[in-house]
Amino acid sequence: MTRASIELGDVTPHNIKQLKKLNTVVFPVTYNDKFYIDVLDAGELAKLAYYNDIVVGAVCCRIDTSENQRRLYIMTLGCLYPYRRLGIGSVMVNHILSYVEKDGNFDSIFLHVQVNNESAIEFYKKFGFEIVETKKHYYKRIEPADAHVLEKNLKNLKNCDSSGIVANHSNDASKQNGIDSTASSHSQLDGRA
Amino acid sequence: MPSSDPLPPKESAIFRKILKCYEMKQYKNGLKLAKQILTNPKYTEHGETLAMKGLTLNCLGRKDEAYDHVRRGLRNDLKSHVCWHVYGLLQRSDKKYDEAIKCYRNALKCEKDNIQILRDLSLLQIQMRDLEGYRETRHQLFKLRPSQHASWIGFAMSYHLLGDFETANSILETFRQSQSLNETYDYKHSELLLYQNQILQESGNIDKALKHLEDFSAQIVDKLAVKETMGELCLKLGKFSTALPIWEGLIKRNPENTLYYQKFIEAKQTKDSDEIVNIYKKFQSEYPYSICPKRLPLNVANGDRFSEIVDDYLRRGLRKGVPPLFVNVRSLYQHDDKVKVISELIHGYHNSLKSSGHFSNADKEAALPQEPASALLWTLYFMAQHYDHLRDTTKALEYINAAIEHTPTLIELFVTKGRIYKHAGDLVEAFKWLDEAQSLDTADRYINSKCAKYMLRANMVKEAEEICAKFTREDVSAMENLNEMQCMWFQTECALAYQRLERWGDALKKCHEVDRHFSEIIEDQFDFHTYCMRKMTLRAYVGLLRLEDVLRQHPFYFKAARCAIEVYVRLYDKPLKTEQQVEEFDTENLPPSELKKLRNKQRKAKKKAELETAQAVQAQVKKEQHNKSRQLQNQDGDPEAPQLDELVPEKLARPDDPLEKAIDFLRPLQVLAKECIKTHLLAFEIYYRKNKLLLMLQSIKRAKSLDPIDPNLHTCIVKFYKALKVNGEINEHVRTVIDKETKLLFDGRDADAMNQDVLKKFPNSFHHVLQVARCMYELDATKRNTAVQLVMSFDFKRLTLEDATLAYNYFTTGVFGVCESSANEYKVKCQQRFPHALLFKDQQSCENHMENVKVEWDNDDQQ
Repeated sequence: MTRASIELGDVTPHNIKQLKKLNTVVFPVTYNDKFYIDVLDAGELAKLAYYNDIVVGAVCCRIDTSENQRRLYIMTLGCLYPYRRLGIGSVMVNHILSYVEKDGNFDSIFLHVQVNNESAIEFYKKFGFEIVETKKHYYKRIEPADAHVLEKNLKNLKNCDSSGIVANHSNDASKQNGIDSTASSHSQLDGRA
Repeated sequence: MPSSDPLPPKESAIFRKILKCYEMKQYKNGLKLAKQILTNPKYTEHGETLAMKGLTLNCLGRKDEAYDHVRRGLRNDLKSHVCWHVYGLLQRSDKKYDEAIKCYRNALKCEKDNIQILRDLSLLQIQMRDLEGYRETRHQLFKLRPSQHASWIGFAMSYHLLGDFETANSILETFRQSQSLNETYDYKHSELLLYQNQILQESGNIDKALKHLEDFSAQIVDKLAVKETMGELCLKLGKFSTALPIWEGLIKRNPENTLYYQKFIEAKQTKDSDEIVNIYKKFQSEYPYSICPKRLPLNVANGDRFSEIVDDYLRRGLRKGVPPLFVNVRSLYQHDDKVKVISELIHGYHNSLKSSGHFSNADKEAALPQEPASALLWTLYFMAQHYDHLRDTTKALEYINAAIEHTPTLIELFVTKGRIYKHAGDLVEAFKWLDEAQSLDTADRYINSKCAKYMLRANMVKEAEEICAKFTREDVSAMENLNEMQCMWFQTECALAYQRLERWGDALKKCHEVDRHFSEIIEDQFDFHTYCMRKMTLRAYVGLLRLEDVLRQHPFYFKAARCAIEVYVRLYDKPLKTEQQVEEFDTENLPPSELKKLRNKQRKAKKKAELETAQAVQAQVKKEQHNKSRQLQNQDGDPEAPQLDELVPEKLARPDDPLEKAIDFLRPLQVLAKECIKTHLLAFEIYYRKNKLLLMLQSIKRAKSLDPIDPNLHTCIVKFYKALKVNGEINEHVRTVIDKETKLLFDGRDADAMNQDVLKKFPNSFHHVLQVARCMYELDATKRNTAVQLVMSFDFKRLTLEDATLAYNYFTTGVFGVCESSANEYKVKCQQRFPHALLFKDQQSCENHMENVKVEWDNDDQQ
C-alpha cells in the first residue's frame, strides 16, 4: 500500500478560510479577525498541513519579545479528529523546530495547554517541552479554565550542541508517530474571543 | 491596360510613393503625397490618386471620407484596375465580401493577369466558399506563376475541395516529382506528403494510400501520424496481423489513448468480453501506472468478472483519493446490474472502514495494513454522488453531511452538496453551497465559474457577474470582459436567466452576443488562407475549412439560438408595450391603500433606476476609455474591424418583425442541426405563427423522420390539423401537396381521433399524456377538466423534477386556460413529491428564503 503523504503548505488570502474552518472545528476557542490578518504575514510561522492533498491540520506561531527575551509562541497547532495519531502533528512541530534552529536566535519556544489535555502535554514532552508554569483562569469561556505553560529551552541546548539535538527530536517523533493531541488550544490575550 | 488618365513622370513618381507608404503603413505621409498631386489644378480629380487617398483614410479610421474619395476616384476613372482594386479592398475591410468580389472581377476586366488582384480574389472566394470560382482563379494563378510552390498547392486544393480527388492527386504527384530532396529534415515536404495521402484516403483508394504511405514514410517527419494512419488503413483493408503490432506500438507510445486500445482489439478480431478483459489485464501488468487499461475493461466486463475488477478499481481510487472517481464510473450507471454491484461494494467499504479501517473484513482478518484515514472520506463522498445520481436526495444529503462532518476542509464536498440541492430543485440552497466552496479557495477558477453558473440558475445575474469579476480584468466591467473573451457558457446561462426573469431584451442581447462570436470565428479564418498555404499545414487547413462550414453546429450556438427563438416567439405572442405605454399605468381603479403601495414601489423603482443609470453612465465612460486605449493599441494591427451596432435591450425587445428575427437564428440550425428534433419543432412554432402551411408541413415531416413518436411532434400535428381547418382558402397547388401528404400523416383521422390514439398507445409515458391533455384542451376548451385530470392523475412517483416543472409551467402559463385552483392543486402534489424544489414551495416562504440568502451573501461580501 502506498503510504499517505503529509505536506505543509502556505496560508494565503485565497485559502485563509480553510484555516478558519479548521480552527473552528478543532479548537474550543474562536479567534478574532486580527488573528487571521496577522497569520497572513507570518510566512513560515503559519502553515497548513495536507494529508493526501487534503487540509487536515494547521500551525500558527508568532514571535514574542516580552520579558526581555526573544521567544517563539505557538498560538495554535491542531489536526482534524479522524487524522490524529498519523504523524501530522509531528511534521508541524518539526517544521517549527527547524525554523527556530535555522534562525538560531530564539531563547525558547512556548505555548499554552488546557490542563486536562493530557495527550497534548504528552505530545509536546516528546519534543523536549516541559511544564514551567500553570496559569489560573487563563481561558475565559471553557472548562477547565487553567492552562499549563509548556516551554522548550533553546539557549542551553545551543551552548552544548546546536545542530544535533533538534534533528534527534525529529527522528524520535517520526518513529513514534503517536500523538493524540490536536489540541493545544492556546491563545494569548488578543487572540481570545 | 494602363490607366486612362496617366500622370506625367513627376506625379507618377509621387503616386508610386503613395503606394509604398500604404504598404509601409505610413498613412500620414501617404496623405501628404496625395495632397501634392491633388493640389495641382490639373489633377484635382485624378481617379487613382483619389482612390488611394480614400484607402489611406480608411486605415486612419475615417470611413465616411474614405468611401467618398474612393467612389469619386472610381467615377473619374472607371477603366482603372487600381480604382476597382481599391474599392474592393475597402469593401473587404468592411466584410462586404460579395461586393468586394464584384470589384475584383471588374478590376480583372481591366487587367486580367494582375497577380495581386487574382490572389486577393482567391482569398475572398475561398472565404465565401465560391469553390468553382476559387478553382478558376487558382488555375489562372497557376498558369501565370508555375514556378511557385503555392501555385501548385492552391491549384490542387481547389480540386480537392470540389471533391475531384483524382485531379488533385495528379497535380500534387507531378509537383512532388519535380521537387528534388535536398534536406534530410523537411517539415513542409513531409506535410505535403501527408496531405497527398489524405486525398488518396478520401478518394477511397485505400490500397493506393497505404502503398503511398509505405513508400514515403522515410520522408515523413510526423512519425505518429504515419503510424496512426497506417494502423487505420491496415484495419480498413482487413490486414489485421499487420495492424496488430502497429497499434501495440502506439499503446506503448501513449498508454492513455483509449482509441489505441479500441483499435488493438479491433485488430484482434474478438468480441468475447472475457478475452477483451484479458487483453486489458495484460496491458495493465505492462503499464502499471496507466489508467486506461484499468478503466476500459469495466465497460465490457459482466457478472462476477465485473464485480472483481470494479472492486479493484474503486478501492484503488478511494485509497489514493481520486476526486473524480464517481465521474469516471458514472457512464456505467446505464446498466442497472452494474449499479447494484457498485452500490453493494461501497456499502461494504463504508461499514468496514468505519469499524476497522479496512475495505473488507477479509482484509482485516488477513492482517493487511489499514487504509489511509482519507479512504472513509472519499467513500462517503462517492456514496453521496451515487445517491444523487439516483436522485435519492435524502440519502445523498445524509452521506454528504457525514463526509463534511468527517473533513470540513475538503472543497469538493461543498460542490457536491450544492449539486444535490440543484438536482432537488432548490437552486438557492445550491448556489449557497457553491459560494461556500468558492470562498474556501478563491484562486480556483473552476469552482468560481461553477459558483457563477449556479447563481445564474438562481436568476442572480448581478451576483454572478460579481463572482466572475474575481477573475476578469480590472479596468473593464466583468460583463464586457466576458463578452470580449467569448465566454459563451456564461452568456448562454445569462440569457436563460434573463428569459426566466422575463427580461426579454437582456436575454436577446446575450443571444446576439453569442451569435456574433460565431460570426467572428468565421471571420477569423480569413488570415489562415494565406498563412496555412505558406506554412504548408494543409491537413490542418482543410480541417479548419470543414470545421468553419459547420461551426454553428456547436451546442453553444444551439442553446443561444433556441433561447432567442423562444423569446422572439413570446414577443410575437405578447408584444411589449412601448416605453410610453408602460408609464401610463392605470391607477384609477385602485383603492387608496394599494395606490400608496404602488407609489412607494414606483418611487423605489425610480430611485433604483436612477442609481442604475448613474452606474451605467460610469460604465459607459469606462468602456469608452477602454475602447480608446484599445484602438490606440490596435492602430497598427486591425484598424479595419467594422463597428457593429450596439445591442440595446430595450430596442431588441421591441423588434419590428420578431418572427423574421427568430428565423435568422433558426436557419443555421436547419442546415447544421437537422438531426436534432428540437430544431424542427422550433421551426414549426415559428411557421405556425406565420401561417405558412407548407413550411409547417415541412417541419413536421422532418421531425417525423427523426422520431415519429415524439410527444411534442404530436402536438404540432394536431395544431397543423387545426390550422388547415381554419384556413378557408388555400391555393389549389398547395392544396394538392397538402392533401397528398396529410393522407399519410392523418391517416383519415380527425384531430380528436389522433389524440385518442396517442393516449391509447402511450398511457404510461408522461410526456405523451401531457401533450394529449394539451391538445385536448386546445381542440375543445370545454374538455378542460378531463385534460387536467389526465395530467393530475398520472402517478407522481414516476415523475422526474423536470417533468413536473414542465407540467406545472403549463398550468401557470395558461396552456389549460386560466385554472388557478388546478395549478395550486398540482403544486401541492408536486411539493409532496419534490419537497426541496423551490418552484413548488409556498410563494412567500420561497421569497423569504431567497431574500435571506441574498442578505447573507451581501454581508459576507462586505466582510
